[in-house]
Amino acid sequence: MNGIRTKHKWTPYVWLLPSIVLIAVFVVFPILIVFRLSFSEISKAGVVGGFVGLDNYKEAVNLPAFKTVMINTLWWVLSVVGISTVLGFIIAMALNQKFRGRKIARSVLVLPWATSLVIQASVWNYIIKYEYGSLNNVLLNTGVITQAVNWRSSFQIEFIWECTVGIFVTIPFVTFCVLAGLQSIDNELYEAAIVDGAGFWQKLRLITLPLVKPALTVSTVLNIIYVFNSFPIIYTMTKGAPANKTDTMITYLYMLSFYDRRKGPATALSVIGFLILCVCAGLYMRFVMRGEESA
Amino acid sequence: MTETARQNRLALILTGIAVVLMLLLCTMPLYFFDATVYTKRSANTFVGDEKYAEALAEVEAVAEDFRAQGMEAEIKETVTERTTSKGEKTSLVVFTLEQTISKNLFSFLGASFSSAHILRILLALILIGAVTALAGTLKSFGAMQRDVPERDRRLRTVMPYAALIATLLVPAFVMANNVVFSRRLSLYNGGQLTEGKEEFFASLGRFLLGTEENAEAALSGLSFTKSGLVWLLAPCCIIVLIAGLMLRYGQIKHTLLKMLLILFVVAVCIITLYPYYVMLITAFRTNQETTDMYFLHMLPTEWKWQNLTDIIRRGVPRYLLNSVMVAGGATAISMLCGIPAAYAMARMDFKGKKAFLGFVIMSQMFSPVVLLIGIAQLMSTLHLNDSVVGLMLINAAFNQAFAIWLLRGTFVAISPEMEQAAMIDGCGTMGALTKVLLPVSAPGIVTALIFVFINAWNEYTISTVLISTASNRPITVGITQFSSFNMIEWQYLFAASLLATVPVVILFMAIEKHLTAGLTSGGVKG
Repeated sequence: MNGIRTKHKWTPYVWLLPSIVLIAVFVVFPILIVFRLSFSEISKAGVVGGFVGLDNYKEAVNLPAFKTVMINTLWWVLSVVGISTVLGFIIAMALNQKFRGRKIARSVLVLPWATSLVIQASVWNYIIKYEYGSLNNVLLNTGVITQAVNWRSSFQIEFIWECTVGIFVTIPFVTFCVLAGLQSIDNELYEAAIVDGAGFWQKLRLITLPLVKPALTVSTVLNIIYVFNSFPIIYTMTKGAPANKTDTMITYLYMLSFYDRRKGPATALSVIGFLILCVCAGLYMRFVMRGEESA
Repeated sequence: MTETARQNRLALILTGIAVVLMLLLCTMPLYFFDATVYTKRSANTFVGDEKYAEALAEVEAVAEDFRAQGMEAEIKETVTERTTSKGEKTSLVVFTLEQTISKNLFSFLGASFSSAHILRILLALILIGAVTALAGTLKSFGAMQRDVPERDRRLRTVMPYAALIATLLVPAFVMANNVVFSRRLSLYNGGQLTEGKEEFFASLGRFLLGTEENAEAALSGLSFTKSGLVWLLAPCCIIVLIAGLMLRYGQIKHTLLKMLLILFVVAVCIITLYPYYVMLITAFRTNQETTDMYFLHMLPTEWKWQNLTDIIRRGVPRYLLNSVMVAGGATAISMLCGIPAAYAMARMDFKGKKAFLGFVIMSQMFSPVVLLIGIAQLMSTLHLNDSVVGLMLINAAFNQAFAIWLLRGTFVAISPEMEQAAMIDGCGTMGALTKVLLPVSAPGIVTALIFVFINAWNEYTISTVLISTASNRPITVGITQFSSFNMIEWQYLFAASLLATVPVVILFMAIEKHLTAGLTSGGVKG
């Protein structure tokens, strides 16, 4: 171990203490609260009553919008994570090539990552407005379309737009994770492959993919978690309207808890979401820990 | 014939084809106008009755006259039905005879439109390119690229650049003439076209009728159909560009791939920047312009800096200050707790190290949103709801994981020898950390610092739940006051967004390079 020695056995724990306290109070404690609330009776005013067993869960599952919301969540996570991973990978491959202006391109492409999601969502909200939106404007001016298109004619299309914005803001994270992986690949591998007569696809399949797989896995799992938890895009663009048809679990539980004041089923939904995240987290941890051991 | 000569020949043939194609395109009809040349109103007429047939025959006769003169004329009818005050149904049929005028690019060049200059530049550039390519190639036709004399090489370079500029001007050109025709004509038909009317109709008359006399009277009721057919010029320009690259660099496959790569990156950059462009220009437009259906300008017609002073009066500085406090406080707390923890993780050996690592990673999994209800409850118990301090603590806690990750990665990458030496010299662990390690690892720490700052700055969900007093809102929540349910003040919304975005974007760009390294050492590689 290339570390330093400490006088006492307990010294390391003292160093960790502030961090542990911070996480325990503001992350672990709310988890416990949510669990406790999900098994308790809660009045509309928020007064916590006694233990009611699984009543809240039954209520949550029987909510009319429950099924739609779950399906939406699944679509939301799958489409945003899937498409942004593929596109992010392609962009990272392009940025890994040498060309003039690469640094500028990198700085530009990182922008959506640095911008608040509310702001991104507001801008896109404006862009796709039918009456005066910027997209119709640009397309009309360039002669691509001859008549203004209603980009939000139905809730399905609106949901697709929300996914598009989700993809747009998720791509930079994937790109930069993959880029980090790509840059650690030794160039000699490719040179050897070229000598052996490997084409582009062979190089991609046999060298690039296996070597960026760790980076890709981590970015995918983290993205599943981030995207699942994402709230501002849907909340800003449709607020789940009409009738929760564009809600995902997260926005729905927010509405349920803070608009409809139905804290009982909302906490039950929180716990369900929490458990789903736990599964993802477990997979992620297994992966990272394995990397830790081999490092 | 050598390989080079063959390639050069191919390039010249391509250029020739593209130039001929372009000249052909210029003779094709690319602009479509509709003019109403004759109107017949037939009152109290129902579709299919005697009066209708009579009127139709009359219109047909007029149409025949027009067709005899070699003009296309199309009969259109609109039927308006209504019930009179006496309760009887009545119907009005209006026949219009519409003449479609289509014009090609050569007649466009002849008229004096401002955007015709762009077309002239475009064509001139292509021609210059073609001529120089020819001049640069003829003498050293079969020579290898590296053996081409310097003067010829320079001549050959002119062509790709000329073609590139021409390719970039095509969109500008298409946009410019679509804007001129559709905007001006719709303004004119609405009676709003005031400045430059005579001039516009003079050139329109020369374009459509071949004469400037009485153009305005002859062209009343004119409308323009937008068409993207002018885009057909773009492939020609691209062919010339490819040919130019071939002549200049020889290796066509390699240069073509590189060009495609750069085009791809440029396209992605443009798409990425597009929302920011929209935000920037909308922030300085008037309220009227932000919701103007016919707003067809790239930039605001008048930069309204007053929007900035308006939002300053509406509490935005206060929100920005809150954001600075929340993000700054969260960063400070996160670093104060994170640096010792990361240090212990990187340098010390102890039982439960793995458990702590797991604990940290777990906390990274849970964005505060899923725990929203629990956090709201906790904060009201601690009397920290609706307070800036509460937001600081929450943001610090939820960013601990990333902070520890990034910092640990930085510390591990630095050899512990210097600290060991310092400790032998009598420094305590604390001294070794503050005097030796921290200065050395400054770049990594700054990265983590900025990263946490940006995350806290951009946080929205928790703030919107916890903060109820307007004066405690951070900027992300503050901007939503400009988008109430029934009225959105886009210009203020985006002006405030701009103020909220610019500082963090600059910060992020500063750490972007280190972040990639940090992700590799900390997050990604584990």
